[in-house]
Amino acid sequence: MSDSSSNPDYTKQGAAASGAIDRSMRAPVVLFAAAGVFWLLVGTLLALITSFKLHTPGFLGNWEWLTYGRVRPAYTTVFLYGWATNAGLAVGFWIMARLSRNVLQRGTILNTAAVFWNVGVLVGVAGIFFGDLTAREWLEMPGYAAPILMFAYVLIALWVVLTFQYRNSKYTYVSQWYLLAALFWFPAIFGTAQLMAVYAPARGVLQEVVGWWFAHNLYALWLTPIGLASVYYLLPKILGKPVHSYYLTSVAFWSYLVFAGWAGMHYLAGGPVPAWIISAGVTGALLVLFPVFIIGINHHRAMAGSFGMLRTSPALRFTYFAAVAFTTVSVVAAIAAFRGVKEIVHFTYFTDGLMQWGVYAWFTMAMFGALYYLLPRVLQRAWPSPTLISLHFWTSAAGIGLYVFAMCVGGWIQGLQMNNPEAYPEFVDITRNTLPWLVMASLGGLLLFVAHVAFAIHCLWLLLRPETAENRSMLTAEPKTMKVAAK
Amino acid sequence: MSDQKKRNPEDGGGSVDPEAASDESLQEVHASLMRKREEKSEGFPIMPIMIVFFFSALMLVGGIYMANFGGRFDPMVFDETKGPLAAPDEEDPEELDVVALGSRVYQQNCQACHQADGQGVPGAFPPLVETEWVTGSEERLVRVVLHGLQGPIEVRGEEYSGVMAPFGHLSDQNVAAVLTYIRQEWGNDASEVSEETVAEIRREVGSRGAWTAEELEPYTD
Repeated sequence: MSDSSSNPDYTKQGAAASGAIDRSMRAPVVLFAAAGVFWLLVGTLLALITSFKLHTPGFLGNWEWLTYGRVRPAYTTVFLYGWATNAGLAVGFWIMARLSRNVLQRGTILNTAAVFWNVGVLVGVAGIFFGDLTAREWLEMPGYAAPILMFAYVLIALWVVLTFQYRNSKYTYVSQWYLLAALFWFPAIFGTAQLMAVYAPARGVLQEVVGWWFAHNLYALWLTPIGLASVYYLLPKILGKPVHSYYLTSVAFWSYLVFAGWAGMHYLAGGPVPAWIISAGVTGALLVLFPVFIIGINHHRAMAGSFGMLRTSPALRFTYFAAVAFTTVSVVAAIAAFRGVKEIVHFTYFTDGLMQWGVYAWFTMAMFGALYYLLPRVLQRAWPSPTLISLHFWTSAAGIGLYVFAMCVGGWIQGLQMNNPEAYPEFVDITRNTLPWLVMASLGGLLLFVAHVAFAIHCLWLLLRPETAENRSMLTAEPKTMKVAAK
Repeated sequence: MSDQKKRNPEDGGGSVDPEAASDESLQEVHASLMRKREEKSEGFPIMPIMIVFFFSALMLVGGIYMANFGGRFDPMVFDETKGPLAAPDEEDPEELDVVALGSRVYQQNCQACHQADGQGVPGAFPPLVETEWVTGSEERLVRVVLHGLQGPIEVRGEEYSGVMAPFGHLSDQNVAAVLTYIRQEWGNDASEVSEETVAEIRREVGSRGAWTAEELEPYTD
């Protein structure tokens, strides 16, 4: 690679390089993405079983492997470590390689990491089904799976840091900051949690504090930065105009890292934990609104005037859906963190709805958008069926919308009823009243299942489709040079 | 949930996403935007002021929240609306009411035979009031309760020949409490039995069957 600063015509150089980068990234990106899609299907099946069990407890209940206590942790593990992390890494590698203008070097590192990571997830999920699971939310994988994951992770982080270190670009971009931050946060939170909650559990409430710090930050400091990196990269790429008020992004970046780490503590409200820890969590969740506000300005004002593009760009459709979900879920989560609201929503299905709002409507949709954008480029062939993309988008959007609506509204009503023992003296009545909402959530889950099957079929079709010259020319057409803010 | 719902493309949209900006120009443009804004000195940009106001408002609300509910970062404040709990070693542990404990143990274990007034049942269960067996030697009394008693004994001039069950399963504290209780209740006025005494005798004797009156002779003082 020639030094970009020695060549004034960046556009031409970039176009040639980006095609070369995409081709070189094919093996690791497809490995991680394919593993992610596989786990997505497994996770969706497990999620459906979990969801059905909530309103039909006897469903598949006669076999200990498929009892609620094992299926639910298996589903969250498959979803978070199998789908979300694999997809996030595939997207993260590609963006990092593109922005560092590096063709893939030492690809074996990534391919080995892909194998080890997925073996680790497999061992972890099998351990959960065997009954070796831990009692920690989002950390249910038995302790023996963690070293395999950590080994894979070290390889992944090493590769990304090397790629960034030896970059051929003159400037860095906000997506790279978020990716690097996520890469440094993950071992910190995962390692600390494994050590203090699984291997040598801390005593007393400290263990609980560590547990919730981990669970929140797996979302806030691992998944979310990767999602933000993807949205920040794809919006200007597709729209052809810069991020609005870009000079504020570094403020948002640093304030997000500082405040988001605190926000998980509010989950301990009502527990025997020193009050200041919970109050600091509430304050953290509130202050996160500051970076969220800036990120919202960046995304939504860049989008203003370009809504017509949603019609033609599937990646943009998913990505912008995710951006909207990120803004809304952050605001709702900040409100729901306050003790007065917690009194209603704590220990209800609302929490579950909010979790899916963040992990699915925000992060997973962002990953779909990124995969729709990068897979054709990496494989040098176009998506075969616009209809399948459309089916995927609308069933996902409707499915997650229905699920979040049912769980949040149903959970809120459940909370109001639990706080009113005069009107609802029998607890079982309250439980019975949640049934219609749970059935509605299951319907949402069925729609998501349809969406994911459509996506998986489409991915397989794309993979098996021959690489044609026509497609290649379309995908390697020289990207235009972005003009500095159209005045 | 989002704006996408407004538009419904009949054909499902295109399938190739545009790449409207090269990676170089993406970084170039944004880097120049970053530089440009920092150097800007003229005019009165509205956005930074809004951001500053928003940040100040959040900090104010957060600060008020921490001041009200932060418990002054005291690790002993568990209820944000109340003051700190006293550390356990600073406060006197609540005084154990030995008589109340003894009375409860008595009701649960002894009352069925010896009756609520401690008078027993004539001919079947001996009384506990005004008798040397109760108010006399602690050594003998503790042994009777821990291991039981069988065979003929004489209490207040009457012969009894029954079996008293052992109560060794009760804790030292409970045995001491119930014995203190019966030694001071119903007009009895003997010394307290300490937990240590019970523990010592329990250790000394070990496990054994019920005592007889003769076997207890050595312990009458």
